[in-house]
Amino acid sequence: VREGVTDASARVLRMSYVVASVAGVAFFVMSVVLLGIWPGRVLEEQTRVMMPEHPLILSVSEERGREIYSREGCAYCHTQQIRHVHADVIRFGAPTLAWETRLDYPHLWGTRRIGPDLAREAGTHSDDWHFAHLYAPRAVVPDSVMPAYAALFDGSPDRPTQAGRDLVAYLETLGRAREVAGPEGEARARAACNCVDDAMAAMGFAAPALNASPSRTRPRGGAPPLPAAAAETVRGTQLYIANCAGCHGARGQGDGPGAVGLHPKPANLAEHTYARARLADVLWNGMAGTSMQAWRDHPVADLAAIADVVDSFGPSRAVFPPASAPAPDLAPDRAPALATPPANLLDVGARIYAANCVQCHGLGGDGRGTAAGELRIAPTDFRAQRLSLASSLAVLRDGIEGTQMAPWTGRVTDEERLAVAHYVRSLFQDDRSAVAVAAIAAAASAGVTAGVRPR
Amino acid sequence: VAAPSGSTNDAAFSAAVNTAVDADVDVALVRAHGVAALVTLLVSVVFGIIASLELLYPDIVGGTPWLSWGRVRYAHTQGIMLGWLGNAFFAFLYHAVPLLTGRAVTSARLGRWLFALWNFAVLAPGWVLVLAGVSQPLEWAEFPVVVDGFVVAGFVLAAVQFLPPFFRRGLEDLYVSSWYIIGGLIFTLLAYPMGNFVPELVPGARGAAFSGLWIHDAVGLFVTPVALAIIYFVIPAVSRRPIFSHFLSMLGFWLLFFLYPLNGTHHYVYSVIPMAAQLGAIAASTLLGVDVIIVVTNLLVSLRGSGVIARDIGLRFVATSTVFYAVVSIQGSLQAQMAINQAVHFTDWVVGHSHLAMLGFATFAAAGGLVHAWQRMPLARYNARALEWAYWMLVVGVVMMVSALTAAGLVEAESWASGAPWLDSVRAARPFWLVRTFSAIPIGAGFVALLVGLTTGPRGGGLEALAHGHSLAVAPEIAPRVAPVPSVAS
Repeated sequence: VREGVTDASARVLRMSYVVASVAGVAFFVMSVVLLGIWPGRVLEEQTRVMMPEHPLILSVSEERGREIYSREGCAYCHTQQIRHVHADVIRFGAPTLAWETRLDYPHLWGTRRIGPDLAREAGTHSDDWHFAHLYAPRAVVPDSVMPAYAALFDGSPDRPTQAGRDLVAYLETLGRAREVAGPEGEARARAACNCVDDAMAAMGFAAPALNASPSRTRPRGGAPPLPAAAAETVRGTQLYIANCAGCHGARGQGDGPGAVGLHPKPANLAEHTYARARLADVLWNGMAGTSMQAWRDHPVADLAAIADVVDSFGPSRAVFPPASAPAPDLAPDRAPALATPPANLLDVGARIYAANCVQCHGLGGDGRGTAAGELRIAPTDFRAQRLSLASSLAVLRDGIEGTQMAPWTGRVTDEERLAVAHYVRSLFQDDRSAVAVAAIAAAASAGVTAGVRPR
Repeated sequence: VAAPSGSTNDAAFSAAVNTAVDADVDVALVRAHGVAALVTLLVSVVFGIIASLELLYPDIVGGTPWLSWGRVRYAHTQGIMLGWLGNAFFAFLYHAVPLLTGRAVTSARLGRWLFALWNFAVLAPGWVLVLAGVSQPLEWAEFPVVVDGFVVAGFVLAAVQFLPPFFRRGLEDLYVSSWYIIGGLIFTLLAYPMGNFVPELVPGARGAAFSGLWIHDAVGLFVTPVALAIIYFVIPAVSRRPIFSHFLSMLGFWLLFFLYPLNGTHHYVYSVIPMAAQLGAIAASTLLGVDVIIVVTNLLVSLRGSGVIARDIGLRFVATSTVFYAVVSIQGSLQAQMAINQAVHFTDWVVGHSHLAMLGFATFAAAGGLVHAWQRMPLARYNARALEWAYWMLVVGVVMMVSALTAAGLVEAESWASGAPWLDSVRAARPFWLVRTFSAIPIGAGFVALLVGLTTGPRGGGLEALAHGHSLAVAPEIAPRVAPVPSVAS
């Protein structure tokens, strides 16, 4: 009997191993079915019903760019997956939907974010910025830890190789399809989504902005007012070095190491006087069409501190004339030696402005002329910023590379250009109180800028 | 080889010693894979050090494409998994399988083919291609598809090499290490294509669902089973006492193989992958933590009072590995929970977690297995002092690195949640990255000491290290067919 029991238990034991082995394989198969095949089918169906009617595909160049992105391990620092999580949606935008990834063989979701997520990178930075940044990341973003990809260039950021162009072309596709699909695409996807019972799925369509990047440029307006001159000038200097000096240069002259490949060039802050509201607007919204990104992720106090540094670079505000009394302004502070302007110079400038400039720069120089909407880069609002006379004349002579501002040498005379330069300068309306101006002057004379040194 | 006397069981095992150690264990292949493991380990560590330096000094390689961060990162993890752990595991299997089964592996010639294939058709070309820019951007699957084909061929050869002894012997009364080896070899073969081939054929989110399976199974069905096989093997072999409970061993084994594959989707929590799959994976992750507690309790209770941890380096490595396994697994269960995952996912916390798994748990098990096998190779050089240094250097290095990365992860999570500018999180991570890079000093020194410990010193030095009252012979529980089955303590 004892023998029999042992035999029977041995048989059961043997059977139990067979059962367990079969179960082990079954669990593995179950994992593939439940976590691979079934979700795959759900996602495939979701892709089918949520995809826009005419979804974009990748061009050959963009597809090659994707391969470069893959081989360089970009996905190991930059995810392409905005999670259904508040912090992700606020920082990057709408959560990534299945159909948006349908062209990725293999997927590039990533599991580590050292740099920011790139799922909505399209339209966030200019191509020039990407070239400058890929060529020498720290030239543009001083504290970046990204590898330099100089091998994608022929020795200079404005000479990208085909591979460099392909990569940037690919970056510009990230999130593009959903953006191009527009409101009707969103409506179609939302209608296909069973969002009523599924709060997380609903989150996929509830984002305040499809692309929420705080760096993305926006049209003018909506900027918070910047507090008056911040006491903490050291903080401003640190922020300027960390965020601005790469392109604008240590002394604001638009000659930073990142400026080389940018068209138009970064503004020469030393030649500009800005209204406080103008600085707030540019920092908050960036300059659409240029490489000047927005800085909405910075606290307003920090933006104010940066604005103070920018002010400290500019021409002295103390001598600025009220618009009603243009006379002192006629003495060209840094202008080439020209004949003393005739008394009616501003009237001449106004007439020339009305004939040649108003279509873009608008009545009263508000930058909102009838043709302004057609331009990639908004024309200068002369009420909000004033260029030095010398720079004004240089712009009128040479135009501004990378913008629609053409040279005017063939069409108006030297004297007429001088007149219009004086005229547009007279349009400036400073919004800073005399107290604030005095504070800036004091700060400047105390050597705020002395702390700004090339790295 | 005369087994040193001192254990009352020695006489009973002398036959096993003579047949298993002298005849069946292919010492040449143990040694070849062991040395290959250590060499590929050092190469992989160099890749890791370069990658960590590049995060501190991004221009340190001057834009050299083949040394850029992404490519070096690919080479680092593939080298660790396939080169170091793969070779070390094969070395251990050549030692253990004959002792577990009382039978030789299939063929020494096959072994030479496997060695050549693994190192010269997988690793060498894999590294060259990845650095040259031919790769796939899939975690734990970075070698290009053409190399993946050779990896599969390697796993097939390994199955042919190591599995038949178990089947020839019969599956009754198999020691738990045997089950882990059988399970690991078979399930790795099944899981590998999920992360290496399927995402090339199935795009985007759908492919990511499969990718998640392999990200987890690479650790769960390849690394963990063999590492646990080593731990389960070395503890009774050195302590000369059976594992506390064979029942708990087997319970742990089957639960692991049931639960591990179901974890995959926890790498993509809050993604567009259906929430039911995410929640299922999170539930499985939680249960897996319970399973690991069972496994680790069984192992630690088995070690309690054995009195040899301090004396035997191999055992000390695997005992430490057991502790790392407990910590990393419970950490894994916790970080799969949605509230925690939301914060720490994408941060250095996870990088710390994976280093605790691969550098802590798996590497300590693999090193313990190598040392254990080396001690029992009659003509192998063995430098006990260097190994002592290796152990302590690695303990210091792992703790240093994992603490720094875990803290960095928390700081990054806080920075992201606060809405601060992105670069603030990068700047905040730098001091921790600096500590991580400095941890390369003890870790690198530890690995060099490990290499020195196993390639210098007197020949047969390992046998002398054993002459402290325990035997060269096969522990009774490991090879129940060649030795009497001891009573199970539970």
